[in-house]
Amino acid sequence: MVGGLYRNLKYNLDFFRNNSAINDNVLSTSHETGVKKVVSSLSTCIFPNKTTYPIDETMIHNGPPHSSNFGYSHAKRMIDVLNQGYHTQHGCNFTSVIPTNVYGAFDNYNLEDGHVLPGLIHKVYMAKKEGTPLTVWGTGKPLRQFIYSHDLARLMIWVMRDYNEISPIILSVGEEEEVSIKEAAMAVVEAMDFKGEVIFDTTRADGQIKKTASNAKLRRYLPDFKFTPMKEAIKESCDWFVANYDTCRK
Amino acid sequence: MAAEKKVILVTGGSGLVGKGLQHVVEQDKRADETWVFLSSKEADLTKQDETQAIFEKHRPTHVIHLAAKVGGLYKNLNSNLDFFRDNMAINDNVLNTSYKTGVRKVISCLSTCIFPDKTTFPVDETMIHNGAPHQSNYGYAYAKRMLDVQSRAYHAQHGRNFTSVVPTNVYGPHDNFNLEDGHVLPGLMHKVYMAKKEGSPLTVWGTGKPLRQFIFSRDLAKLIIWVMREYEEADPIILSVGEEDEVTVKDAALAVAEAMNFKGEVIFDTTKSDGQTKKTASIVKLRRYLPNFKFTPMKEGT
Repeated sequence: MVGGLYRNLKYNLDFFRNNSAINDNVLSTSHETGVKKVVSSLSTCIFPNKTTYPIDETMIHNGPPHSSNFGYSHAKRMIDVLNQGYHTQHGCNFTSVIPTNVYGAFDNYNLEDGHVLPGLIHKVYMAKKEGTPLTVWGTGKPLRQFIYSHDLARLMIWVMRDYNEISPIILSVGEEEEVSIKEAAMAVVEAMDFKGEVIFDTTRADGQIKKTASNAKLRRYLPDFKFTPMKEAIKESCDWFVANYDTCRK
Repeated sequence: MAAEKKVILVTGGSGLVGKGLQHVVEQDKRADETWVFLSSKEADLTKQDETQAIFEKHRPTHVIHLAAKVGGLYKNLNSNLDFFRDNMAINDNVLNTSYKTGVRKVISCLSTCIFPDKTTFPVDETMIHNGAPHQSNYGYAYAKRMLDVQSRAYHAQHGRNFTSVVPTNVYGPHDNFNLEDGHVLPGLMHKVYMAKKEGSPLTVWGTGKPLRQFIFSRDLAKLIIWVMREYEEADPIILSVGEEDEVTVKDAALAVAEAMNFKGEVIFDTTKSDGQTKKTASIVKLRRYLPNFKFTPMKEGT
């Protein structure tokens, strides 16, 4: 069960209970039916709110998560606890991955609920259509690591085939690929050939300034993995959105 | 004006803390309070339908939730998964059934063993989630921590008055005196009893140097009852004697020996592990509420 900031804020209990139930059911049924491997998906938003950077896989439980979505975050953290428990008690090969900000086709483009890149894509589309400026929420200064869904998918398939640790692994572009929201907005503007004005609505919250995650562990395993260049991936994502505007989730 | 009638259901009512509550409640009967002490024989709280049935039977307005799957060091080490899942099930059933049946207040019982393994001292209520718990019982510890998460979530989403308490080392009658599974003070009492009977020395495991704060079960019971009647926060509260009353395991052993009039030799088996050197917890929050609460002197309690 997922949702944007406002939905999480209001329903922390439901986010905790529903996700805990889903996770317990999937893992216990996997165990009972002899599933050989389970790869669960965590998220960088579950890390401690107060932390040093870059974040790495050992730091997940090192402090309370951000209060806005503590229900969702604790439920996700408990997947890691269950994985350890199933391994020690039953020898199960259950593990987890931690993606950073994912983007790509079939995203949720809803302007209230969705994440930053699909939100920008949808906004640029509307701004072009209506001949208005593009308004980006916040100062544009926060930094994010964006990973294209196709790259994440290739990495998850690798994890399913070849990663044998129980502890989680962060799947992300490197720290040096971190970009500001402003740079991400300009990349979308360019991909969609938007010629209008770009405004930053600084009355809107910025969210976390950074969430820099280390992909050193991934690089130890796959030193040569090539991520799709952001310009190309954003172009593909924007093209998909435009072609599928009528049917996509928004 | 007549006070609203309360029906207080105590899960885990036949254990050390439950029996302490029974004792205190007998001495401080109130016309507006009906107490129901539940034991695991009456309902398997890991099962949603049995939990529902027992709530329908008793219709509580308040719940003191002490029930848990507990065990000593070795039991935990091998079964962290089961300790996690069973306690998560019990806790979800009790809290959710309480919510659905309109229970006004739920007080859950945490433990100082759930705090982060790597920490500064004294520990306080804000530090519960600041790092992984000790590896030996992480399943139990995380399940207990999720009681705090859920209590705060029921409060945030539904305005429910669900909260939790964190006792330090509890001791008193009706404890588990098993030498493998039980905790330090009841273990010492049992050992002194055997040493006296058999005319052998008292062998204390470890160096005797670790420090602990011991709270008598009847004092803990009085404090839990106060929490049930007056404490309105969703955040947990530590219930313990002060840091200045921390004693070494050696002092605790000698207190037991004196109380039981043991005249034999006391030996420390330093080949046995000491466990954590200290777990010092701060009661600053409790003292802000109850500056004058008097604990039973340890000599008397033992």
